[in-house]
Parts: sequence; C-alpha cells; structure tokens
Amino acid sequence: MTDLSTGQSPLEQFAIKRLYEVHIGGIDVSITNSAVFMLVAIALVTAFLTLGMRQHALIPGRWQSMVELSYEFIAKMVRDNVGSDGMRYFPFVFTLFMFILFSNLIGMVPFTFTVTSHIIVTFVMAAVVFIGVTIIGFVRHGTHFLKLFVPAGVPIFLLPLLVLIELLSYLTRPISLSVRLFANMMAGHTMLKVFGGFVVALGVLAGWAPLAFVVALTGLEIGIAILQAYVFAILTCIYLNDAINLHH
Amino acid sequence: MSQGEPPTRSNDFDERLRRLRERTPSEDKVVPGPGLPSRTAVGFAFRAGVELMAALLVGGGIGWLLDRWLGTLPLFLLIFFFLGAGAGLLNLFRAAKEMNRDD
Repeated sequence: MTDLSTGQSPLEQFAIKRLYEVHIGGIDVSITNSAVFMLVAIALVTAFLTLGMRQHALIPGRWQSMVELSYEFIAKMVRDNVGSDGMRYFPFVFTLFMFILFSNLIGMVPFTFTVTSHIIVTFVMAAVVFIGVTIIGFVRHGTHFLKLFVPAGVPIFLLPLLVLIELLSYLTRPISLSVRLFANMMAGHTMLKVFGGFVVALGVLAGWAPLAFVVALTGLEIGIAILQAYVFAILTCIYLNDAINLHH
Repeated sequence: MSQGEPPTRSNDFDERLRRLRERTPSEDKVVPGPGLPSRTAVGFAFRAGVELMAALLVGGGIGWLLDRWLGTLPLFLLIFFFLGAGAGLLNLFRAAKEMNRDD
C-alpha cells in the first residue's frame, strides 16, 4: 500500500482507500473509494433513466431518445440472441449493461476510480451470471441440462474425455468473462498513465508525440469502455441462450 | 387499403404495429456502432488469449485442488492442465466458428 499510494506508479490509480471505517462482526466492510464510485454509477444510471423519461413524450426529445435507444438496444440483443423466452431476464441484462457501461465511462473522467478495473468486481458479476445461468438451466430442463456437456456423435470410448473437456470449457466461462473486462480496463488505464508520464518526462521538446498518442488513446479507451459493456451483455445473452434453448 | 371498409384510426394503427412486430426480430442484426474495434483481428487475438489463459487457469486450479485434497501432488495437476488446454482450444475453435458465421 505504501508504495502504491505515495509513489508515482502508474498503478497508483487502482489503490483501494478506506474512506469511512466500518467493521461488522470482525468483517471489514469499510466504505472505500471503489464502493463510492459504484454508488455514483448507480445514482447516475438511475438519474439518466428516470430523469430522461420524466416527460415520457410520444415524440422523444434528445435525452429521452438516448434512454429509449439504450433500452431498445439491449431489448433487441436479448430478443435476437435468446428469443422472446429470454425477455424475462431482460431487466437483469439491462441492469448489468448499464452498470458496467457507466462504471467504465466514469473511469474515463480524470481523478476518478474505475470500479471495473478490479478483477474481484468483474468476477462477482461474472459469477452471478454463471451461477444464475446454471440454475436457470437446471430449473428449466432438469437433468436434460447435462446434455450440454455431451457432444453428439462421439465414439463411446472418447466420451468420458470429451465430457470432461466440455465441463472444463463450461467452468472457464466466469473466468474469461471477468478477465476480459478487467484486463481491458486495467491495461487501458495503466497505458494512459504511462504515456501521460512520458509527456512530463520528455518535457516541452519531445513531449508532443506521447501527448498526441494519449489523445488518440483516450478516444480508443472510450470506445473500449462502451464495447466491453456490450461484450459482457452479449455474452450473458449467449450463455442464457445455452441454458434456455440447450444448444451451442 | 382499397378493399373492405375504410380503416378506422385504431385498427389501422394495430395493423401497422402488428406488421412492425413481425418484422422486427429477423431484421438487422445487433452490431456495435461504427468505429468500434469488435470484429477486428486485434480484438479476436485478445479474446483468443483470454480464452486460452482462462481455460489453463481453471484446469490447473482444479487439478491442484484435487491434488491437495487427495495428496497426490503432481498427478491431477498434470492431467487437468492438459484437459484445460483442450478446453481452451475448444473455446478458441468455437470463437473462431462464431466469428466466421458473423462475417
């Protein structure tokens, strides 16, 4: 902690700081900067959606258009990838998408904390998706859900091996889902800090080149922030589809 | 519009809404907006790396836990490491197939 929070490390931005100490039954549940920015993201999403729909006009204004656009974007994604059966889970996917999108975008504002750059945060979200999808699969199909792990048309002596591999491939999902989001956010923000450091180190003479690069990188990072929220949501849809319609 | 009684405002609206609903699901696929590097080679390479790494991690992790439980240290770690590699390649294969289908 000492090195990270005091030095000029590009990783300093990821340090968790306790802002308000709370201990319940020996468990540290202090309000950290991470928790604060999660609350900020939730507050902003709520404000964006409710204030945007405040007038609920038949012909939407600019703000209401943005709200409707994001709603319809996810609704379409769920309908196209899971089918109308999956619309029951639309609120979950929409919440997930908006939370990740706003967390990522808030992280692009200087001096803020990027919630999604910590793997534990993304892993919890991925684990909820993974466990939820598995439960949905078993509830809807019972033991037939296990057919997901039995590839069709395989000689019997190869079957145990392939079932094991399919099972491992299934268990990989929460890891790859969480690592993808976390690695993108962390790598991007570290890179911004590193090149920002180059600007200062090279000074007025040669600092322009990394400065131009940082500008381009910021644009790219905003794109990645949106894209990764989209990727998380669409993979959730694909996993839901596997559980509901039982095919790869 | 030419046959039958002239459409009242409400049933004409219902009819148009129904037609729109029928059209909506199969129409344009969901693709990210322009300029987003989703289907690019770099994006795919990154995805491939994550898939392989995650599978190896899960395989190795399960093997190591089994070993710690049964006290047979290198045995299951080795077996599940290779099974994990297999799972990673399977994931990679599926991702590549997905990508081909989208294009």
